[in-house]
Amino acid sequence: MGETTKVGYEKPIPLKTQDNHPYWDGADKHELVLQKCKSCNEYAQPPGPSCTKCGSTDLCWESQGSTVLGKVYSYVVSYRPFLPGFQNDCPLIIAVVELEHLPQVKIIGNVLNCSPDDIQVGLPVKMIWEDITEDRAMPQWVQA
Amino acid sequence: MASIKDRYAIVGVGESERSKNSGTTPLHMALDAARAALNDAGLEAKDIDGFMSYSENDSCTAHQVANYLGVRPKYVKDIMGGGSSTEMLIADAIGLIETGQVNTVLIYRSMNGRSGVRMGGGGWGVDLLQTAIEGGSFIIPYGAGSPSQWFGLFATRHMHETGLTKEHLGHVCVSAYEHAQRNPKAFFYGKPVSMEEYLQTAPLSYPFNKHDFCLESDEANAIIVTSAERAKDCKSKPVYIMGMAARQCVSHAHYWKNLDEVAADYVAPEVYKMAGVKPEDIQVASIYDCYSWVVLRQLEAYGLAPRGEVGDFVAAGNLRMNGKLPTNTAGGMLSEGYTHGMNNVLEIVRQVRHEYEGTERQVEDCEIGICTGWAGPDIAGAMILRK
Ligand SMILES: [Zn+2]
Repeated sequence: MGETTKVGYEKPIPLKTQDNHPYWDGADKHELVLQKCKSCNEYAQPPGPSCTKCGSTDLCWESQGSTVLGKVYSYVVSYRPFLPGFQNDCPLIIAVVELEHLPQVKIIGNVLNCSPDDIQVGLPVKMIWEDITEDRAMPQWVQA
Repeated sequence: MASIKDRYAIVGVGESERSKNSGTTPLHMALDAARAALNDAGLEAKDIDGFMSYSENDSCTAHQVANYLGVRPKYVKDIMGGGSSTEMLIADAIGLIETGQVNTVLIYRSMNGRSGVRMGGGGWGVDLLQTAIEGGSFIIPYGAGSPSQWFGLFATRHMHETGLTKEHLGHVCVSAYEHAQRNPKAFFYGKPVSMEEYLQTAPLSYPFNKHDFCLESDEANAIIVTSAERAKDCKSKPVYIMGMAARQCVSHAHYWKNLDEVAADYVAPEVYKMAGVKPEDIQVASIYDCYSWVVLRQLEAYGLAPRGEVGDFVAAGNLRMNGKLPTNTAGGMLSEGYTHGMNNVLEIVRQVRHEYEGTERQVEDCEIGICTGWAGPDIAGAMILRK
């Protein structure tokens, strides 16, 4: 683990980079901020240095607010921690969630407090904000 | 562009010892595999004027391998890559031979995949993973650090859409393990698995249990590619390359959103067109099998079974020895060994040249085979080979 890791939170903390920091800065304020291409209107998730659809560098960031709904597009249920820090989180549900208001945007996250028996494709979920350190937060999902 | 159909051949294949702990370096294993391939082809090391390899920064360089075979080649090349790299490097080799820059190329993959850097996880710091993997900051914090989880997302969606079941995944595993029982060098030789045992095995990461995962091994594989003309002078029976194609699609290598589209969907029509054959002409297959589901998705992509009928196709036993399409007949990466696909290339060459003639390992009368590579839904490559 890096020295930036705070006591108490053992999982990897999302690393802010030159290309993605507005997304994570937004998350810290409990706000979903997506990168969008101004040339072709494609949303970029995950964000990058330019648009993966048309190559344009004319990008902007668009807030989607704090209340975000979606449905499970696909999922896996892991019974073994494949990364350090997840040993107490198994079975861990990792899902690709299709946003209700922007179905073309899909966000990977965990569906929390959900039994493996209940998870299924199409399950309605809502975004919640998990405060992982004093100044960092990340979006997660629970059943809507 | 001139057609390369049947104008190039694989004339030598070889491997090092396969183990869980080689106790030696990738360079030693690469040299062993290279010598075995040279011996198979009846060539001297000095006959090789191009050396190429692919790796995930876990191997030795082509320059080193050439040096320690006592050769000073015209061309060396090391690329970063996993599945489908063999097909892409063969294409490179053909291009170099076609333009007169080299005559004969040796391509290898060497890795301590079990005792060294493991693809299944381990050996990497989590911050490194976030930067090393494209989009890593968006998956690693959610615990998605294993290829089984990334591929699993595709599998769950595809199973939902097409009606594939856990039992269908099981047929891929059971047939692969069955093939491994005829291959004393396979990791799971002597360890067959029945459908009942498969279905009772607890999931590691749903929809996959341990049998759906490829294994991890320490080994090196090598192949030698040359022109059809030079192939005539080799001691081995040449296996001719009828067609090959590679393709990239979907924008991210790990953060996958469009789970309906895979690179193999684009490779398939091109490889059949170049080879001038149809899916029903294929008699034996090496289908990239890092996970069981990947085989099912490729059967669909390459038209070997129609979408929606792939499950029935495997349930009918068609991947087995007497099925319509004996597949991964040495056990594949699920049960033989794992070199990011090259061991499957070695096997298809041996099948197509009837190296196992007179034994239960030979797919009878097979003349045309397909070999596919799959780095992920993002990158695929394939080639069609003939006797
Ligand atoms: Zn664009």
